[in-house]
Amino acid sequence: MKKKGLWITLAIVLVAVIALIGVFSSNYNKFVGMEESVQNAQSDVSVYLQRRADLIPNFVETVKAYSLHEQETYTAVTEARSAVTKAESVEEQAEASAALDSAIDIWVNAVTEAYPELKADSQYIALQDELAGSENRIATARNDYNETAQEYNTAIRKFPANIVAGLFGFEKAEYFEADADAEDAPVVDFN
Amino acid sequence: MSTKFLRVIKKAAALTLPVILIISLASCGKETKDQYPTPTEKFFVNDFAAVMTEEDINTIYTKGAALDEATTAQAVVVTVESLDGKEPADYALELGRQWGVGTEEDDNGVVILLSEGDREIYIAVGYGLEGALPDSKTGRIIDNYGLSYFSSDNFSSGLVNVYNAIVNEIYIEYGMQPSENYIPADLLPDTQSETSSLGEVMISWIVLIILVALYMGVFGRRGGLFIFGSPRFFTGGFNHRGGGGFSSGSSFGGFRGGGGSFGGGGAGRRF
Repeated sequence: MKKKGLWITLAIVLVAVIALIGVFSSNYNKFVGMEESVQNAQSDVSVYLQRRADLIPNFVETVKAYSLHEQETYTAVTEARSAVTKAESVEEQAEASAALDSAIDIWVNAVTEAYPELKADSQYIALQDELAGSENRIATARNDYNETAQEYNTAIRKFPANIVAGLFGFEKAEYFEADADAEDAPVVDFN
Repeated sequence: MSTKFLRVIKKAAALTLPVILIISLASCGKETKDQYPTPTEKFFVNDFAAVMTEEDINTIYTKGAALDEATTAQAVVVTVESLDGKEPADYALELGRQWGVGTEEDDNGVVILLSEGDREIYIAVGYGLEGALPDSKTGRIIDNYGLSYFSSDNFSSGLVNVYNAIVNEIYIEYGMQPSENYIPADLLPDTQSETSSLGEVMISWIVLIILVALYMGVFGRRGGLFIFGSPRFFTGGFNHRGGGGFSSGSSFGGFRGGGGSFGGGGAGRRF
């Protein structure tokens, strides 16, 4: 009689352990997959940031045909550009690219003010389109990243999955915040 | 015993069903928080703003269906009265994603969005066509083929012209013959000359043919000028699909989206 009780207890414990392992491993695998998507989405953002940074030398070439570039404003662009390539974390990247945005705007403003005929240059228009497209891609990639990050963050905080996440050190993904400076950025009118 | 059991079940059902209905209805309403139109039967041309002629609508539909069947790529025209305060680029991108313009494997869709009220035109290009239609070329297509029509409120003709250019650029991308009299956007002069003499036309045609031959031969599928990298840009090598049969993006009788996605590529103009 006593022996039978022991067996039953053992069986229950075994079933519980198997169930627990099941919960753990399925959650763990899910988190690994989600973490991978988050990283993937982040690298998309980086790729587009780089794409935009790569456009700037072409821009300079075009503007050079008209004049030497406006020295001061251009120095700010090159500095901001190298800051973007050096940035590593999501937050650093967001800050650096916001700084680059406004540096480009100020520079382009200065140049087109000095050389209004630039606006009719087909090469200039083409680069302007590429630059605008780059910015759209960055914004889209950021939105996609935030959505992926949100899914992941929600998943790792839910009970009982949060225990697994805590145990294996799955950390909350950072979000891209709309930068506060965006409102102060000068508005460029290309029409 | 069993009748009583049945009665309990009936009662329970009568109580819970409306609740389930209400909940599902409420969640339905939640999902369509951002209101975007759904495609019309003619998928390739959706004239919500009613600015197009019947003839032009049919022209675009025929071209769009032919393009889909030949290449699986989809080009969609949408006119709206207003963007509801959204950015044209965001609106076009969201339409493209929600409608799934292009196929899921190749993301080869294009959305040409015109807002009558905002006086904006935007062409959103799917990931897979960013090589054929880089932003600069897309902007140029609007400038050269559409802008003069749009600014004089002739939306219908402008859209047909722009659509024609986009479709031909896609044919070139897929290594197919564009329409007989199509001049690739890369080769267009900056400002279209008004009229030219017969001799000039002949010479320019000869030059053009040579250039096209060079373009196809030297640069292969992709025209040379812009080689900006994007991650998906180089991935899907396109295969020329032979004629015959419906593509994956089409269903019996009508056409619909094949699950293509967009990443923010494209260009727009205010007119």
